Amino acid sequence: MNRISAFTSRNIKELLRDPLSYIFCLGFPILMLMIMSVVNSSIPPESGMTVFRIDNLSGGIAMFGQTFIMLFTALTVSKDRSGSFLVRMYATPMTSSDFTGGYILPMLLIALAQAVITFAASFVISLITGVSLSPAGMLLSLLTLIPSAVLFIGFGLLFGTLFNDKAAPGLCSIIISLGSFLGNVFFDADHTGGIMLTICRCTPFYYCTKTARSAMALDFSAENFVIPIVIVICSAAVIGFIATFAFRAKMRADLS
Amino acid sequence: MKAIETKQLTKKFKTKTAVNAIDLSVEEGELFALLGVNGAGKTTTIRMLTCLSVPTSGEAFVKGHSVTGEKAEIKRLIGISPQDTAVADNLTIRENLAFMAKVYGFDKEKADKRVNEMIEMFNFGEVENSRAKTLSGGWKRKLSIAMAIIGEPELLFLDEPTLGLDVLARRELWRSISKLKGKITIVLTTHYMEEAEELSDRIAVMINGKIAATGTLAELETLTGKTGLEDAFVAIAEGDAEK
Repeated sequence: MNRISAFTSRNIKELLRDPLSYIFCLGFPILMLMIMSVVNSSIPPESGMTVFRIDNLSGGIAMFGQTFIMLFTALTVSKDRSGSFLVRMYATPMTSSDFTGGYILPMLLIALAQAVITFAASFVISLITGVSLSPAGMLLSLLTLIPSAVLFIGFGLLFGTLFNDKAAPGLCSIIISLGSFLGNVFFDADHTGGIMLTICRCTPFYYCTKTARSAMALDFSAENFVIPIVIVICSAAVIGFIATFAFRAKMRADLS
Repeated sequence: MKAIETKQLTKKFKTKTAVNAIDLSVEEGELFALLGVNGAGKTTTIRMLTCLSVPTSGEAFVKGHSVTGEKAEIKRLIGISPQDTAVADNLTIRENLAFMAKVYGFDKEKADKRVNEMIEMFNFGEVENSRAKTLSGGWKRKLSIAMAIIGEPELLFLDEPTLGLDVLARRELWRSISKLKGKITIVLTTHYMEEAEELSDRIAVMINGKIAATGTLAELETLTGKTGLEDAFVAIAEGDAEK
């Protein structure tokens, strides 16, 4: 545990001292919140389109922000792998579990901090726009974002393990695009329906947003919350397992 | 007990034999240099001795522990400074050292004590709160070595410690390494003759994956009939090539 906490502490410091992490992990989601709130104010109420209203938007943007945590996880792991840093660490008593734990934990903490800041900004916007946001809904939404954070951190760990620091960010940008598009964040897939909704429902991103939004609305029905959160938890467990297995296998291959 | 002992240690990569059935013996407390040109097999040998690479055949023992069967025991006994400076760029010198101390399981009090000892030993005082990425090559190498010994290893492996450093930084690093002599067993790889000559108790000359000769500088000079390590090395290398 001592080794995991030492590695966690190192990774948090590395992240917090990289200005890009503030721009992407905090600045960009808040900027999107503000832009989409302006867009929402331009949509005539009679259209019935509420996807950009702050109570719907905040959960989606919080999920969208997590895709950048994935990017930074992939960058941290792939950079460590491309240099000699991990070679040095491989020669210490650290085990593969210490490494994966030390990569996942700090990213999880930063994902939580990011979600708190996103909801805090959403609360301010809700006061300005006059849309009420339930504090209990925000707290529960925050908790439901933990499995989706694990999902994206898992993707980041997987890409950072399998690809170098040039290729990993490119692959992450594909997931960022898919996550924002198919995650029901920037368009209303439920009202669009048809093949688009079917495609969205085939990805875990759609359910990540749905659980966050349902929790925010204190809607815990099977259709809107229970089934989606089960899908997100299962997806996070599968990707998390694949990522840790891949890291362990790659470490074994590096040491062969 | 020998600090290191290898028996017919071999490493093959597909068709290339990087290390070819070497027999080495390193005494406790000595500074042992593996000298050879680039591609001679020095780094591959170090990688096998530090459990970073599995031998294709043969065996090696570090303080009596097998590199193939007792990796966890060996990792607790060794420190390594790799060829590239392997430091955490966004951490300060003090933070890098504290991080490694915790990795080796030291509690806060012991970690702080060891960090302060390293800062004093390597004269980090003026730069201890500078981030590693802002340091010169010489400071980074010193930090890399300090990180390797903060865990109180019994054996230290230095892989080309002065590669790419200017002459002043190299001399400064030699002084740092000299301070460790006798306190800890050191295995150092280098292709700089003067470095091996200046620092080593014994030298093994590696040519094409094989140990071509081993001994003190005087023994290598006697063996070849030459004066100075460079001439002795050339004689050994050419003799090996003729074989």
